[in-house]
Amino acid sequence: MKLDTSGLETFVPPSRGLNVLPSDFTASPAFDLPGCTDFDGFQKNAVQMVKPAKGTTTLAFIFKEGVIVAADSRASMGGYISSQTVKKIIEINPYMIGTMAGGAADCQFWHRNLGIKCRLHELANKRRISVTGASKLLANILYSYRGMGLSVGTMIAGWDETGPGLYYVDSEGGRLKGKRFSVGSGSPYAYAVLDSGYRFDLSIEEAAELARRAIYHATFRDGASGGVASVYYVGPDGWKKLSGDDVGELHYKYYPVVTSSVEQEMAEAPVA
Amino acid sequence: MALRGDWVYENNGGTCVAIAGSDYCVVAADTRLSVGYSIYTRDYSKICKLADKCVLASSGFQGDMKALQKNLAAKHLIYQHQHNKQMSCPAMARLLSNTLYYKRFFPYYTFNILGGLDNEGKGCVYSYDAVGSYERTGYSCQGTGGNLITPVLDNQLKSPSPLLLPSRDAVTPLSESEAVDLVKDVFASATERDIYTGDKLEIIIVNATGIRQEFLDLRKD
Amino acid sequence: MAKALADVPPKGGFSFDLCRRNDMLVKKGIQLPGFRKTGTTIVGLIFEDGVILGADTRATEGPIVADKNCEKIHYMAPNIYCCGAGTAADTEAVTDMVSSQLQLHRYATGRESRVVTTLTLLKSHLFSYQGYVSAALVLGGVDVTGPHLHTVYPHGSTDTLPFATMGSGSLAAMAVFESKYKEGLSREEGIQLVSEAICSGIFNDLGSGSNVDVCVITKGKTDYLRNHQLPNPRTYVSSRGYSFAKGHTEVLSTKIIPLKAKPEVAVVDAMEE
Repeated sequence: MKLDTSGLETFVPPSRGLNVLPSDFTASPAFDLPGCTDFDGFQKNAVQMVKPAKGTTTLAFIFKEGVIVAADSRASMGGYISSQTVKKIIEINPYMIGTMAGGAADCQFWHRNLGIKCRLHELANKRRISVTGASKLLANILYSYRGMGLSVGTMIAGWDETGPGLYYVDSEGGRLKGKRFSVGSGSPYAYAVLDSGYRFDLSIEEAAELARRAIYHATFRDGASGGVASVYYVGPDGWKKLSGDDVGELHYKYYPVVTSSVEQEMAEAPVA
Repeated sequence: MALRGDWVYENNGGTCVAIAGSDYCVVAADTRLSVGYSIYTRDYSKICKLADKCVLASSGFQGDMKALQKNLAAKHLIYQHQHNKQMSCPAMARLLSNTLYYKRFFPYYTFNILGGLDNEGKGCVYSYDAVGSYERTGYSCQGTGGNLITPVLDNQLKSPSPLLLPSRDAVTPLSESEAVDLVKDVFASATERDIYTGDKLEIIIVNATGIRQEFLDLRKD
Repeated sequence: MAKALADVPPKGGFSFDLCRRNDMLVKKGIQLPGFRKTGTTIVGLIFEDGVILGADTRATEGPIVADKNCEKIHYMAPNIYCCGAGTAADTEAVTDMVSSQLQLHRYATGRESRVVTTLTLLKSHLFSYQGYVSAALVLGGVDVTGPHLHTVYPHGSTDTLPFATMGSGSLAAMAVFESKYKEGLSREEGIQLVSEAICSGIFNDLGSGSNVDVCVITKGKTDYLRNHQLPNPRTYVSSRGYSFAKGHTEVLSTKIIPLKAKPEVAVVDAMEE
């Protein structure tokens, strides 16, 4: 007599070829924790290692043609500029981008993680994830780590079946839908320019110029922002980088140096 | 995992520099290991060869440094068994970023620079913070002498930002020998002013022909 | 009532109220400005003819070397010198103050200063400041009563010793002294031993570095051997050198103010005013 042992076998998913990925690949990874009695005290000390991208200006807004996203590129620690080339606009997939403010590693990692989740959603459902859905995935993750010391202030911008989408998500669990956001220490300056120049029916060129100006003016007044002002546009065909300009060069573009006085004085000088 | 106190890190000092060229990459670090006012050893290599075209230079806490290197080496071994090839430098860069972030709440107290050649054979340098935020740069400097050396590299190698559009090539215009010369000079200078940098300089040069190693004596005081 | 209390004149002595306030502020997380500390190796020994003092020449501010070749052997009197460790400002101020008091004392008495006088002046000053003047000293000199060597701690206590070390490199230096010091060393042996002790501090203590200063004091003669040894030359100098191309600094505006074409040369009488 042969026993039927099939009931004892654990369910094995159909082979996916080389099964190299851990089965919980999509789940949030498990993080090591310090075995100390005072976790909060440890994190308070450890936070200096996290290198928060202190001082940032990022902005995004929805207009007639889609979404414009722009950011500076400086990372500073106190008075020291630790980098002038930070990529603060993170490309999640061809139709969605996120911005970075707060902890650099936190933003980079969780946006990468979000990219994986979005791709898996695509494979499972045969259509792209909505911006609403993606931002909610991120917000839920961040909320589950609330109080652990993550520092993220991000905007998720993209294009889905409903058109342009823009959400603000932060590590405190906040998630806001909106037309116009700016995040970071330079945001008051960026908002000032943005709010005064914003109309819904801007053309793409006008919108990009508005974003560029807003970032430039924020870097001009906020010492912790600077570097390169990058401007991205998200339309029906996905995102596209429109420009990347050194804010130093932008300054002389917006405020050209008047050189006329030289010739005058030269002419007045008596010929010896 | 059992900790005696609530703070388990110490800084063992040291400085790392990496410069990427069009067809080479120079990675250098001093070999002094110290804490407070004492020197543990004058001959500790802070550079670890991870793959044929990929080396890692770290500074910070030696215990975490070693643990991280072993962790990466083990993962690279598994990768080789599974894929029958060496990991590329950009792949290693992403792996390192994830490895560091998995310890986000109990970080490796290490400051890393990954140098090597990318898939096209161009020099590449990735620089990290302690919890895994990283970016590809043309050159990088970290550790106790970092604040002294970075401005010199900025002046000598100032490459256009990779974020610019239209983009401009970010690799340094220096030749390999000029880059090595610059590295030696900045370390000799940093040693003059940083008490945690000194004793000996280990230079690793990665190019199409393979990996080469050089040493230079530094001040021992 | 409270006002009356506040109006009571001080009874004299020192007030340490601000020290307690400063401690409180530090506890609350206020950063005090960093002082230039001489993480230091200073030594002294008595040899057959007198006293030899030695010091390294590194001054640090945290992990950064502030001065690669500073002087840590301070003048007190023609026959007395003093090595200082601790906060650079304190060691300099306290040695300068005492040295001028000694000068005045010599003017008044017409006699050579004694090492014990110096020692008493130093320790009474330091004691009255209860360790807040952070000067750790090695005092050496030769007077009518012979050669003397003392160490002075920041709180004002003193030692009298045949050989002494102080500063962050004191253990490294003392290791050399303890293994090699003997009574009746010759001048050359003494200088050699002091240099060796300082070098031990220079190489094994990160707070000490650069060069060796030595001061040999004998009856009626003082030799200050500044930079007696230079054991740490720069190891590499770029053969390439550095050049800076024109245009690194952008010219934003130019203003040319013409000088007078023909300046008038005024002939002035040499003795005028």
